[in-house]
Amino acid sequence: MQDYGTCGPTPPRRPSDRSPAVSPAGLKIVIAGGFGVGKTTFVGAISEIEPLTTEEYLTAASAPTDSLDQVESKETTTVAMDFGRITFDVPVVPIPVELFLFGTPGQERFLHTWHSLAHGAIGAVVLADTRRLDASFTAVAYFEQLALPFVVAVNQFPRAHRYSADEIRQALVLDPGVPVISCDARNGTSAASVLMTLVEHARSARFTEPAVLDMRP
Amino acid sequence: MECADGASWSVEDSTQVRPYAVTSGRTQPRHLLSLESVLEAGSAEPAGTASPEAAQILALCRSHRRSIAELSGTIGQPVPVVKVLVSDLLDARALWLPVTTPFYDSPTGPRPHTQLLEAVSAGLRNLWPDAASKAV
Ligand SMILES: Nc1nc2c(ncn2[C@@H]2O[C@H](COP(=O)(O)OP(=O)(O)OP(=O)(O)O)[C@@H](O)[C@H]2O)c(=O)[nH]1
Ligand SMILES: [Mg+2]
Repeated sequence: MQDYGTCGPTPPRRPSDRSPAVSPAGLKIVIAGGFGVGKTTFVGAISEIEPLTTEEYLTAASAPTDSLDQVESKETTTVAMDFGRITFDVPVVPIPVELFLFGTPGQERFLHTWHSLAHGAIGAVVLADTRRLDASFTAVAYFEQLALPFVVAVNQFPRAHRYSADEIRQALVLDPGVPVISCDARNGTSAASVLMTLVEHARSARFTEPAVLDMRP
Repeated sequence: MECADGASWSVEDSTQVRPYAVTSGRTQPRHLLSLESVLEAGSAEPAGTASPEAAQILALCRSHRRSIAELSGTIGQPVPVVKVLVSDLLDARALWLPVTTPFYDSPTGPRPHTQLLEAVSAGLRNLWPDAASKAV
């Protein structure tokens, strides 16, 4: 695990001193799944910084308390997300690429957070626990509706029932094109292979796009 | 309690939003910021009255560029609070926002460009040369 955070403070540089070409491109991947399925473990296995917990607020306008009082009260609830990052410096593009990982709970009440997380994302990893496959159903249905590329990564817990890929596809009503792979979220190599599968899937699920990458800042 | 799209939660979950004390009660950032907006340190010093939290954010960004999500997780303040503090620092030119991610518009919304996906693939492959997807 590399950590850039531990280096000492450097004097601020003027924006005009820098070439825009060195500014990194930020990309993100959503790691979704039910309680205890391994989201934090997954983010931690792959992140170059210790996984962080980030709190976002959700506010929903609730119904008026009674018919005489038309004032809507606002309820705010807190959502905790996991956060991790990896920085790549590869010759494929002339700028560093930062990949952000967001681990997010899989309940319906968090759909608002998913919406902003999914915006512009490469795609999502739906972590599935074979002891509670139905806990992954909300995420699958949601990403399908958004047409966001996703893969299903099955975390094999000890003593959990082993399903075949076909059984999992049927249980989650997956399109034939959605990759279903096995994963051990505690293992960086395994988590990386899940991300690679997702990126490949996202590439194959391309729509028409401009041929040349525009690097203007 | 139901909100528009059927999401619901119980009253026990709702939080009193006290952390906005850090922003003197302000809840709306003046800049459009998302969780993955990345901040770098700028040339100016913030006004002398900067809160300890703002000073922390500035110190973090001076050592390495950081996203809103990372700042929030590191200083232990909720995302909306961090967005307000970062907005102040942007106004003071103590921070700046260097990145616009090259997206293209797909029929289903913005998607990262293929070349960036290739860069992520290659980067993952460099770091984990043994990674191979495993069938279930
Ligand atoms: N066998 C096995 N255990 C795992 C795997 N992934 C996570 N675990 C274990 O499962 C437990 C829960 O993992 P977490 O990463 O905390 O799960 P989470 O999804 O973040 O949980 P919540 O945030 O509480 O919803 C931990 O004890 C992990 O060590 C896996 O792939 N295989
Ligand atoms: Mg967790």
